[in-house]
Amino acid sequence: MKKSNTEENKHNKNMGEDMAVNTEALSVGYDGKALIRDIALSVKPGKIVALIGPNGAGKSTILKTVAGLLKPVYGEVYLTGKSLTKMSSSEVSSEMAVMMTERFNAEYATCFDVVSVGRYRFTSVLGRLDENDVEAVDSALKFVGAYELKRKTFDRLSDGQKQRVLLARAIAQETPMMVLDEPTGFLDISHKLEFTDNLKRLVAEKNISVLLSMHEPELVKKLADVVVCITKDGKVDRIDSPEKIFAGDYLKELFDIKSKSYDEVYGFLNSKTPSSDADTHKPSVCLKNSDPGSKTKFLMVQGTMSGAGKSLLVAGLCRVLKQDGYKVAPFKSQNMALNSYVTEDGLEMGRAQVMQAEAAGIKPSVYMNPILLKPNSDVGSQVIVNGKVLGNMKAREYFKYKKNLVPEILHAVEKLKEEYDIVIIEGAGSPAEINLKENDIVNMGMAALVDAPVLLVGDIDRGGVFAQLLGTIELLNEDEKARVKGLIVNKFRGDKTILDPGIEMLEKMGKVPVAGVVPYMRLSLEDEDSLTERFDKKTKADININVVKLPHISNFTDFDVFEQVENVALNYITKPEDLEWADLCIIPGTKNTIGDMKWLKESGFEAGIMKYASQGRPIIGICGGYQILGKNILDPENVEGGGSVEGLSLLPLSTTLGSKKHRELVSGFVTGESGIFSSLKGKRYSGYEIHMGDTVITDPGEAAEFTDRLSGFSKGNIYGTYVHGFFDEKEIVTEILYALSKEKGIGFSGEKIVAHKELKEREYDRLADTLRNYMDMELVYDLLGIGNKER
Amino acid sequence: MKLRRTLAFSVLIILIFILVLINFSVGSVDIKGSDIVKLLLNRDTTSVQGAVLINIRIPRVIEAMLLGGCLALSGYLLQAFFANPIAGPFVLGISSGAKLVVACLMVMGSEFGFGISSGMMVSASFVGALLATGFVIAAAGKVKNMSVLIVCGIMIGYIASAVTEVLVTFADDYNIVNLHNWSLGTFSSSSWQEIKIVVIITILGVFTSLFLSKQIEAYLFGENYAKSVGMNVRVFRICLILVSSFLSATVTAFAGPVSFVGIAVPHVIRRLLKTSKQRSIIMGAFLGGAVVCLFCDLLARALFAPMELSISTVTAVFGAPVVIGMMLNKKRA
Repeated sequence: MKKSNTEENKHNKNMGEDMAVNTEALSVGYDGKALIRDIALSVKPGKIVALIGPNGAGKSTILKTVAGLLKPVYGEVYLTGKSLTKMSSSEVSSEMAVMMTERFNAEYATCFDVVSVGRYRFTSVLGRLDENDVEAVDSALKFVGAYELKRKTFDRLSDGQKQRVLLARAIAQETPMMVLDEPTGFLDISHKLEFTDNLKRLVAEKNISVLLSMHEPELVKKLADVVVCITKDGKVDRIDSPEKIFAGDYLKELFDIKSKSYDEVYGFLNSKTPSSDADTHKPSVCLKNSDPGSKTKFLMVQGTMSGAGKSLLVAGLCRVLKQDGYKVAPFKSQNMALNSYVTEDGLEMGRAQVMQAEAAGIKPSVYMNPILLKPNSDVGSQVIVNGKVLGNMKAREYFKYKKNLVPEILHAVEKLKEEYDIVIIEGAGSPAEINLKENDIVNMGMAALVDAPVLLVGDIDRGGVFAQLLGTIELLNEDEKARVKGLIVNKFRGDKTILDPGIEMLEKMGKVPVAGVVPYMRLSLEDEDSLTERFDKKTKADININVVKLPHISNFTDFDVFEQVENVALNYITKPEDLEWADLCIIPGTKNTIGDMKWLKESGFEAGIMKYASQGRPIIGICGGYQILGKNILDPENVEGGGSVEGLSLLPLSTTLGSKKHRELVSGFVTGESGIFSSLKGKRYSGYEIHMGDTVITDPGEAAEFTDRLSGFSKGNIYGTYVHGFFDEKEIVTEILYALSKEKGIGFSGEKIVAHKELKEREYDRLADTLRNYMDMELVYDLLGIGNKER
Repeated sequence: MKLRRTLAFSVLIILIFILVLINFSVGSVDIKGSDIVKLLLNRDTTSVQGAVLINIRIPRVIEAMLLGGCLALSGYLLQAFFANPIAGPFVLGISSGAKLVVACLMVMGSEFGFGISSGMMVSASFVGALLATGFVIAAAGKVKNMSVLIVCGIMIGYIASAVTEVLVTFADDYNIVNLHNWSLGTFSSSSWQEIKIVVIITILGVFTSLFLSKQIEAYLFGENYAKSVGMNVRVFRICLILVSSFLSATVTAFAGPVSFVGIAVPHVIRRLLKTSKQRSIIMGAFLGGAVVCLFCDLLARALFAPMELSISTVTAVFGAPVVIGMMLNKKRA
């Protein structure tokens, strides 16, 4: 099976003396069972040999056997020609130092103590260190850049620091050979590079030979003289120079990244453009080339980090272009948000694209956001493709799967092209997440798919904007760098003249023009995702509307309308005590009704809400919160993990969860007349329903229909409805706030409420004006390849 | 760091000095400080006070001090061996194992009418300690979990105690009293003859431990690393377990099983010294053990004088909370 380099293959027993280490017909494993057979390795003095292969291939087992810590199952390891099994451990220790991945409890040992154990073979019986030893320890520490940690307690170091100290320990042993098991595993990128340089220097200076295992192909390429490839099923597949190993697709094969799946993905592309270069696996195929007749122009906005303000910039650009008379649509291939919007067709998409579509003056469509990930646990998400639920996936599964979604993305783009002149694409997070770059479909990968020029946005408000922009560019490869056509400094406050010299240098160093310095804006627009500041603030005003912040809260933009009103505070509360100063308690929708009901019980909210309700104060439950207000929630079909849970029993309802998802836009009238909100009767609502399962009334005499079509019930001051967006109609908000202020005995003028929609329109215009003032729109039009007609 | 160690050692030595003096003077017969010097200088064994001091209290104090030190040291070596801070001769059942074999010897001695010398006691105890240690090491090979290991040790201890009880039930009345007292642990039988043997064993034990300190230091970071720096791990482990068993066997032979000193003292000393320098810890553990046993023996003797408590009763009161604290701390970490 092994295809050894001819040069490496020549060795035999006699030649073994020239080798620092060589193995013969070595099989390694545990308890006499061989995991890897027939290993013929050799390390020449002054050379670095690297083992690579997937996790669990047995790299560590080989290293341990070579280091003499594990007995060979069969065969021999030779150290400078001598059989390892015939050497005493002190003889071995003068030839070879070892660094392993295993960790220990060093208690109070300082780094100096740890490294000085490497001097074991030099010290006296009592282990006293002489001057030479101290010097060797110090210089080893300096070598790995850990000298300043000398007096620090080893156990308190970070993993990366520990790794450096352990390496120093091996160096302090001053042996001609070192065996290092994943010496860079915990290091950050700069220390990895430093380690590579240092190790090369050490090998060169002292003619040391090194056998190591590593996971970073880039570093192995830089560092190793010979690469040994071990496959998943424990075979030494190839031993060769890094140049040869890293040529072609071999690595993908080794790490089981099946090229077959590549074909599956790009097969779609290839059929469209036979000329595409399948070998590079880059979606060099772009729609523009394949369809030269298309007039649709693309522009992409990417950020240096999440929250850099991409969404609003895209919205603003959409509005500017709309004002200039173009048909423009927003697009984001993949969104991750708890908060989804349901289109008229009953399909789910991210809220951010809905907001951008509003700015563009068009109806939102799932093609603007073909992939939506809704996190429903710490490690997994519900994957929604083109509006429909595909299933739940763990992050890792999704990472593997996502390349299969490229056709869906292209399909969505095609659909947008049919209707619009311009598509403004939003990236996600940062394009320079070098661990996730493979098979990227949201940032540069997306830009390449449609051959879009890229504007890169940095956030000056969070500081380090120059480093953000230049650093991001620096981490891109050449093709990607060429795509970046403009830089934007976003969220700037203060005097721009101070910034100007920096901008000049930025343009010079980044070799990309700065397309604008956009000021910090306070806009009353909906947030994109759950990563917002809104949960942190807690303010008291004349009227306090307190929303119970359930752990799996969803669709929280339901209540945004309250934030637009003066003297009304919308608070998300996590402690039952905060119910005390609430004028209205809202139990919001949730992705996991049963789980959140249990949380209510455990957190003491159940008792808090019961007390609050017994005082006759108002509660409104929306969707999941509505289900929670009922008597029980049953899950016979294991939609949320099965079982049943008792609800708050404030309404005589019983909910049975089912796997079928209700999903529709609804409108109707409030039919109920109970409690302080009785004046709502007859008012029109519009919104949408999205839930799994059905709720039925168990005791029709006890509660009255609240919203029509039996979609909600009320009893006294307890109200519940399935309708999301219930508060969006001006009349309903006005009545609710009026009733609340009357209860509290304070005056309230209905004129203060600006209907949500009007307000948003004003905000979009304001955003567009700002972009026109502070951005180089000429450049934007140039990038789009259209002259600016208006100006 | 240096200062901390110097300070800690000074405090330990001063404590020993003070405790020795108090031990000399307090008891069912009170002896004034000034009288102690006089009695010692005159080697006066004719007066009651002189006889009490020289024939009873001084040997007892020396024995409590040395055996206490040995016990703590033995515990520390076991902890290094098992890489487990809760190891100790008492919890691992080693003391009980030693007790069992010594009990056999004593019963046999009275049945067949032969006298038992200190040397025989120590040897029998050593055999018992090694047997119990063997069981624990076998268990440790199977389970890596620290709590399970301790439970195994405690079970071994119970089995050994149960067998001892059986022996006691079938022994003559006279022997039962003797055995019962001894099996609870006490320094009350100390005599000048014993002291010689104790001193020799102590010196041997402490010195071998000091010579093992370099290896212990390397072994702290795991067997593989120890091996890779050139240590013969197998020989080291054998040495370590022999020295440790020998020390705890000696203590058991002379004073019976004494609880918790072996665990609690090394732990407190490590916290106190905050170092991984094995020489310091070994010396510190020895001095610490001496302090604790002097103090506990004083309480055992003086608290309800003329009645005497068993030494384990007193050490448990102080030691067990320390061990509980350690376990809670471990959980959090």
